Amino acid sequence: MLVPTIGVEVHVELKSNTKVFSSSLNAFDNEPNKYVSVIDLGYPGTLPKLNKEVINMALSAAIALNCKINKVMHFDRKNYFYPDLPKGYQITQNKTPIGYDGYLEIEINGKKKKIGIERIQIEEDTCKSIHVEGKTLLNANRAGVPLIEVVSKPVIETGEEAALYLEKLREILLYLGISDVKIEEGSMRCDANISLKEHDSPEFGTKIEIKNIGSISHVKTSIEYEEKRQKELLLKGEILKEETRRFDEKTLTTVLMRTKETGNDYRYFPEPDIPYVVLSEEWISEIKNNMPILADELKEKYRKLGINENNIKTIISNISLCKFFETVVDKTNPISAANILTSEVLGYLNKNYIKISDMKLNQDNFIKLIEYINIGKISSKQAKDIIPVLIEKELSIDQVISELKIEQISDENILLEIINKIIDLNPNAVNDFKDGKYRAVKFLMGQIMKETKGQASPQILNKLLTEELSKR
Amino acid sequence: MTRYTELSIIEINKLLKNKEIKPIDLVLETFEKIESSNINAFITLNKEEAINKAIELENKEVDNIMFGIPIAIKDNIITKNLKTTCASRMLEDFIPIYDATVINKIKEKNMIIIGKTNMDEFAMGSTGETSYFGATLNPWDSTVVPGGSSSGSAASVSSGLSIVALGSDTGGSIRQPSSFCGVVGMKPTYSRVSRYGLVAFASSLDQIGPISRTVMENALLLNVISGYDENDLTSSKKEVIDYTRLINKGIKGLKIAVPNYYMADTINSEVRNSVRKVIDILKDEGCTVENIDIDYLDYAIPLYQVIALAEASSNLARFDGIRFGYVSSNFTNVEELYKNTRSEGFGNEVKRRLMIGSYVLSGDNAHKYYEKALLLRREMANALKKVFEKYDLIIGPTNTDVAYPFGTKIDDALKSFYDDLLTIPVNMAGLPAMSMPVGFKSNLPIGLHIIGNYFKEDVMYQLGHFIENKLKLHLKPGGEK
Repeated sequence: MLVPTIGVEVHVELKSNTKVFSSSLNAFDNEPNKYVSVIDLGYPGTLPKLNKEVINMALSAAIALNCKINKVMHFDRKNYFYPDLPKGYQITQNKTPIGYDGYLEIEINGKKKKIGIERIQIEEDTCKSIHVEGKTLLNANRAGVPLIEVVSKPVIETGEEAALYLEKLREILLYLGISDVKIEEGSMRCDANISLKEHDSPEFGTKIEIKNIGSISHVKTSIEYEEKRQKELLLKGEILKEETRRFDEKTLTTVLMRTKETGNDYRYFPEPDIPYVVLSEEWISEIKNNMPILADELKEKYRKLGINENNIKTIISNISLCKFFETVVDKTNPISAANILTSEVLGYLNKNYIKISDMKLNQDNFIKLIEYINIGKISSKQAKDIIPVLIEKELSIDQVISELKIEQISDENILLEIINKIIDLNPNAVNDFKDGKYRAVKFLMGQIMKETKGQASPQILNKLLTEELSKR
Repeated sequence: MTRYTELSIIEINKLLKNKEIKPIDLVLETFEKIESSNINAFITLNKEEAINKAIELENKEVDNIMFGIPIAIKDNIITKNLKTTCASRMLEDFIPIYDATVINKIKEKNMIIIGKTNMDEFAMGSTGETSYFGATLNPWDSTVVPGGSSSGSAASVSSGLSIVALGSDTGGSIRQPSSFCGVVGMKPTYSRVSRYGLVAFASSLDQIGPISRTVMENALLLNVISGYDENDLTSSKKEVIDYTRLINKGIKGLKIAVPNYYMADTINSEVRNSVRKVIDILKDEGCTVENIDIDYLDYAIPLYQVIALAEASSNLARFDGIRFGYVSSNFTNVEELYKNTRSEGFGNEVKRRLMIGSYVLSGDNAHKYYEKALLLRREMANALKKVFEKYDLIIGPTNTDVAYPFGTKIDDALKSFYDDLLTIPVNMAGLPAMSMPVGFKSNLPIGLHIIGNYFKEDVMYQLGHFIENKLKLHLKPGGEK
């Protein structure tokens, strides 16, 4: 039986302030070649600097991915000619990747599985090539942007596992706050390697690489397609050659880019312009001690608070929402807060294309909102009118309530007067109540709400009405 | 007519301070000399800028010893708005947009850059003959080589065209031409002088250093260019000392080693005799001088060929015709652009070295040659370091012989490396080393090699200055010997 061996390589752009080997800003801009220095251009005579922030970020990734750390690490030059590569070599880590031999855990069919990580290395990005009218233009804004390359061990067995691995990796890096990890914007780039072998064969089959796959779901689709394609060829008795392919999003198939004639010869050697970096125990523990709480830990916390799985999933999958939630969760009823946040608040934001960072709803107002709902000061129905205003305008919840004239009547004396008035007007309903017909209460509630223009506090009204009816 | 530029820097400084002369007098005299010289020491002159600078300095206080002193710069050191060619067609029209760190330091001291000196192309060569702009002539004899790769810097100082100059040394490129031209050249401790803005040949070996007429003036220039630079991660944070501080201090008690390898039969006997004369003087003065064996020195050339050329093959990859420098007009695709640009832009010696360098890093060769060379390099460095546990200095000849006629070695790729037989080990270990004239073979200068412990340039100057004073050689080419 033929079984696939799958490995995934991911390049992730780190969002450090400046580039990895120069002081140029690491930023996106529509204007090409704006964030460029002589170092980024590989100008003769220039030498690399080393951005400590990048090392810290890569170190946090290595720790989060349970890697061993190369405590004495250096950089290497990977030599090759390509127009987007200004120096004719890329500074990367070949011999001493910052992290190695780690893993992350995925859950597949209710079972947990560790996916091994072979290495995490720091390297620099290249220029972006833009092809216009038969010409190639270079944009060096990206040249020298820090990358980490995360290479999985070839232990992934299905396209689905690969997708779960990538989702998990993405979530970890996102919660570390070191990258935007957006595949569509190129801050996360995925390549997959697939080979097939007889299940009992100790040797791997011929490796086919699928380059730069455009989304996580396409990783799954392309691996599944490739597995099928290779299987068919092998069963026909064909001998495969090492190839690089790409995924065609229209036909959902993989297409040959080039065959690898001979192994690439990158003439690696240690970068002589950057001395060895010693990652001391103190340095590593400082990074460890300042690690943000990661998604798995938050999920566990929310479960313990009794928040339902759907809400947890919604909150965790939206890091800005999660960050907001974290500012309120310990100061209010977490279950109500999760409910309101994932339904009314998120619903309104999505419907109106408002970013969480742009909403005016602050944590004080949100905490009061939950409190007012829980003590019956406002109904959930009224909350639905209040939330959009809180999101759009910089007003306090009390201002909104009085502005919308939706404050509830919760004064028992006022309510009692109205209740008795309505009861007197509806003797039939009282009889129905005595016959045990609960709908009588509902009917009377409706009459009172009509009388109070909906402002009676439902909880208090319910309590008082039942009491009054029982007295009759 | 008084030749102000032939006075010592200390004397010039006095005259400038007393307003007896102005910087412009030095500059005009310099260009008058350069224009009547035919040794091809310069690739680019900075006349207009130098004159403007000299005039600008007239209103400034003479605040340091190097104020207003004209200086020549090897053409592989990046100078803003001043063409920097590396003596290559590849950079024939290359005008940089920034200054090397050493240039900033020179400008801070208000020294005046008079031009960029000729050299072997990309510092690859030891005769000056690989320059795209033609060879520099040796001021002592126009039929022999000036040495290289800092050929123009050494020859310009030797012939009085510049008072001081900067060179660079990867395997002997400051010391060997200094020796052939009869001037003082120092390759400082690796990391002492920032390499930022030095067009890299072999990054782990390259070092910028001063070339001068006298030991004292060499120390004065090293004072200017030394120091930590945040733009060069390999530069040392160690505090800079005053390199003149031990000059004129007695040398009695200094312990000096003479490696047997440096006095073997492979070295010309007249050269050895000159060194022996120096040894006798030092012994008379109360120094301990002992002959010793140092392991691994005989591996210098193969080591250099592997390590220096491997690094060079990578460092020069950026000259691809895309961002700067020469672009072939003959291409239809990117592959041809690379091939033709590099085939046409680089000279033969550079191409030969880049091919060897690529070869030793390629596939299994990386393990077979490069990694083995790194191990051997460490052993060689350790062997040299060990000497300094017992001795203050190492001395010997800088070269196996004096300068030789043009064309002698140009057709033999291997032969030219042998010029660096005695100088390369120092670069491998990162130690400081200096060459200074100590005699002549017929009319050609002989260089003494003084090797110091890390960051002990001051002790080397102390010894060098003593020897210079004792010998009192007449070091004006064409003059009395």
